[in-house]
Amino acid sequence: MDSPAANAAFAKQIDIKFPLLSDMNKKMLKDYGILKGYNQQGETYDWARRANIVIDKDGIIQHIEFDESAVNPNNALSVCTDLHKKQSSK
Amino acid sequence: MPLSLAAPVRSQNKEQVATPSLKVGDHAPDFTLLSDQWKTVKLSDFHGKKNVFLAVYVLAFTGG
Repeated sequence: MDSPAANAAFAKQIDIKFPLLSDMNKKMLKDYGILKGYNQQGETYDWARRANIVIDKDGIIQHIEFDESAVNPNNALSVCTDLHKKQSSK
Repeated sequence: MPLSLAAPVRSQNKEQVATPSLKVGDHAPDFTLLSDQWKTVKLSDFHGKKNVFLAVYVLAFTGG
């Protein structure tokens, strides 16, 4: 489980400069519909699906991808760059 | 402002499987989460200020 303490150690190890967040009660994951049940030795465990989500300044989703396609962040980064350019030219 | 999130948690409900319904153009539900610095981070804190890149991953620091 990635608690805030585990995330802090991870952030320090790879020198991350942005917040690492923990959804300990799964509320956000439920709201976003990205929990998935996995069966392990007769028990079911809920895990977050991998996802990349870009949300603009108005709170609108501009990009969303799941699972295998979310391993590579380049599509989401490209959306961020385009969004930034569009907003800068306003 | 990139944010990332990790939270595998054991379930009491064996039937629960996610069906993602959010899509481009939808309003992103607000959330309040604890950061690695034990500070509260809300999506709405960035409203009107910054775009947010939310990367959801599992078990980054546990070898899983």
